[in-house]
Amino acid sequence: MFGTTFSRLLFVVSNTVLLGLLALAPWTVPKRDFDGAALLVTPFGMVSPRALQVPGPEHFLGSVTLGFWVFALLVVLAVVSFFHPNPRRRAQMLYILGGIGLAVFALEAVLFYQAVYSVNSAALAAGTEANRLPLKRYALSLGAYLGLFYSLALLLAARLQLPAGLAFLVRYRGVVVPLFSLLLASLFGMLVVALLTPAPGAKGLTLPLGNAITAKLDLVTYTFQLLFSPLVSLPGWFQSLLLATPLIFTGLGVAFGFRAGLFNIGAPGQLTLGAISCMLVGVYMPGPGWLVLPLSIVAAALGGALWGAIPGWLKARFGAHEVINTIMMNYIASSVFLFIISSNEYKFFGATLRLPFKAEGFEARSAEIPEGARLPFLLSTLAPQGHLSWAVPLAVVLALGVYAFFRRLDLGRRLLLAAAACLAGFVAGGFLPGPPVEISPALRSVRLNDSFFIAVVALFFYNFYLFRTAGGYELRALGFAPKAAEYAGVNIGRKTILAMAISGALVGLAATHYVAGGGIDEYRLKQSLPVSVGFDGIAVALMGQNTPTGVALSALLFGVLLTGGLQLNLQLGISRELVTVLQALIVLFIAAGGFLPRYFTDPLKAAEVETEAKASREASHTGKEAC
Amino acid sequence: MSDIFNLALLGITLRSTAPLLLTALGGMFSERSGVTNIALEGMILFGAAAAAIAVDRLEAPYLVSDPNAHVAWIPWAGVLAAVLVGGAVAFVHALVSIRYKADQIVSGTAINLLALGGPSLLLKAFYNNTTSSQEVVNRLPLWFGFSPLVYLAFIMVPVAWWVLFKTPWGLRLRAVGEHPEAADTVGVNVYRMRYTAVVLSGVMAGLAGAFLSIGFLNQFVRNMSAGQGFIALAALIFGKWHPLGVLGATLLFGFFRALAIKLQGGEVLPSVLVEAFPYLLTMLVLAGFIGRSRPPAAIGKPYEK
Repeated sequence: MFGTTFSRLLFVVSNTVLLGLLALAPWTVPKRDFDGAALLVTPFGMVSPRALQVPGPEHFLGSVTLGFWVFALLVVLAVVSFFHPNPRRRAQMLYILGGIGLAVFALEAVLFYQAVYSVNSAALAAGTEANRLPLKRYALSLGAYLGLFYSLALLLAARLQLPAGLAFLVRYRGVVVPLFSLLLASLFGMLVVALLTPAPGAKGLTLPLGNAITAKLDLVTYTFQLLFSPLVSLPGWFQSLLLATPLIFTGLGVAFGFRAGLFNIGAPGQLTLGAISCMLVGVYMPGPGWLVLPLSIVAAALGGALWGAIPGWLKARFGAHEVINTIMMNYIASSVFLFIISSNEYKFFGATLRLPFKAEGFEARSAEIPEGARLPFLLSTLAPQGHLSWAVPLAVVLALGVYAFFRRLDLGRRLLLAAAACLAGFVAGGFLPGPPVEISPALRSVRLNDSFFIAVVALFFYNFYLFRTAGGYELRALGFAPKAAEYAGVNIGRKTILAMAISGALVGLAATHYVAGGGIDEYRLKQSLPVSVGFDGIAVALMGQNTPTGVALSALLFGVLLTGGLQLNLQLGISRELVTVLQALIVLFIAAGGFLPRYFTDPLKAAEVETEAKASREASHTGKEAC
Repeated sequence: MSDIFNLALLGITLRSTAPLLLTALGGMFSERSGVTNIALEGMILFGAAAAAIAVDRLEAPYLVSDPNAHVAWIPWAGVLAAVLVGGAVAFVHALVSIRYKADQIVSGTAINLLALGGPSLLLKAFYNNTTSSQEVVNRLPLWFGFSPLVYLAFIMVPVAWWVLFKTPWGLRLRAVGEHPEAADTVGVNVYRMRYTAVVLSGVMAGLAGAFLSIGFLNQFVRNMSAGQGFIALAALIFGKWHPLGVLGATLLFGFFRALAIKLQGGEVLPSVLVEAFPYLLTMLVLAGFIGRSRPPAAIGKPYEK
């Protein structure tokens, strides 16, 4: 595949396109209005539909023009070196060019931020107020990023020139396929945005073609900058974690099913049942809050487990396909949900059934969980009463320390000891005095609650159960090869029910975030319970390739995107549903293996590639010895 | 009782049956060819959005002079748009499932997700509103009280039966869904059969969508199908992948929907529970408590040549 005429042609064409993009793209944006209209610096002049100005434009323009010519030279050299007959020399040259590209990108960034800083500090010195600085929302833009990605791509291309380059890529297919799908989905999303939305500040204007393209390129870049903008602020991180928490639960639940070869698309139903049981225990269970809260968490898991186990049983006992049954049970759950919260009186053929669950008032909602039995906010756990607390850090450190220390013990005891140490650390840390800390109102307004910790525990459970216990091994065997597993003595029926129950339980735990943790602004059942996160869990599981780390990272990714989506709506007037579209496309592309060759998706074909690479390496070794 | 079981109930039943029937018959072709189609819901939504937006765009020039201008061909152009878009979305499902051998459930899930977000992006761009489109003037006409698509739905039952069981094409389709290797051996192009069948299901679901947005209502509303694609899927299983069974199942489920509407605020049964009956019945059938429902043997499996 590499070194052939086709790959050379591909390389030349893509480099030409890149060169054109680099020339037209905005490289840096020194200032931008709130609605997205900006001053764009391109290698061949400044573009601004709203005619924004900046003091000392030559500083900004000079570095961009220089950067462009350096990268243009790099591109030409890369194309030339790609035609070198010796793969090792090819790789060497590409490595060097990629390294230079990275350095130029870094230089570019430094120069830009320095120019911004000098303009703003000059204005400050002249007496401008701190919130009226001339340069706002400044950032590097597409041209600079393209340079960065191009350099990274050169490094990757260099690795691919070396022997077994393809096998290298195939070995990491668990990362390659999701990332490539993410890239494709993003490109598609950019296309949709560029087609549907006018460039900011350019509405109703007719720009010259080149400038119009620059403005559109800026639009798509800014769209994605906004989507990822939560990553640069602490409240943004908290808000992203808030949205990621339920996705971790549902993603883990769906992934657990996948591991056992079961497709659980009943997550919305299991989430609903988890929420109902969580509310029932939280509201109606008498007793002190510290007892009711853990019980309501267990109830959430059990509710989900029940709703998952039923389709599991139907599959084990009658061979009914779990996909259809879980879909059906989603709708049944939604009926049950409405039945509980929409009225207190139902008539059956004239007879009246009275239920106590709906709260007084017009709105369809349940009673609220009393204050003592609610999950506290994460912030009040990390920093109660304006002082940082040592409870959580000490608990984490002690748990990890104990787990690492007792290497000789078996897993169960190690985990038990670690849990005990965690608890002890939490209690002891609570007594230690912590430093005072200031919490901004923006951070305080984020409703991230302690269900985040439950999500972390769920991630560990997933990892330990599936990859460290005999039961988990059997489940995975069932997923890989059901017939072989049965032959080896796995009770398939029982395992199917168990897998669906655990899958449902993990999903049901998401209810702790919504109901016990007040994730829907109130600590009760409401119609606004967003059950569709159950479907988002499928995207999370696929993107995360059913590994705990992958699920956590992809849940975080979607949390960030959903948070950034709010800004997208506010500033550019693009619907937040863009994130749903991206999610859907990612799922679609991953399902299609990223449209990559089969050896990226088929383990058998992947093994063939790796064996071939190994054989050719050995052949070249023996060849050398013979010489 | 008589205030519930009257002629109006029959009318509502037929109207709620039509979109289910269209969708389920289309889904039958897809599943009979061996491609699971849980994306019916999404295809309905795409069809509905396409119809409403197309009609709105087309009638806009006419409405400038007369805000109530009725132009006979415009709703039919909307139906055409729904059919084309439904078919195109189905083609994506087919491409990913057949050419790239994707898991068909995953692909279907992706399309359903896309149908939640995609129309919203369009609505925001066209109407600066993420939940609903402009109300249109040129809805589908009523023939003797019913939309033409209602008649079409019921006419499609014998047509589908005849195509599936009395034509060579139908025989090949069933062969491809039961035993693709055997069909391939005797010279049937498995891939082409499956592409055709899946696109056909999208076309039919698009018709159902057009019925919802410009027949039943006069605008597109986000997630307006509200699970009807899944009820159609349930009806398909309940009707054992047979046109007459599908007719019976959709009539029954349409009756439940109508009943749920009529029972609202009544004293007989809580309507929220009645709405769950179709799903419950389908689960019972699938488990074999009420008859046995056997899917086509090769369903869900990508065909490897």
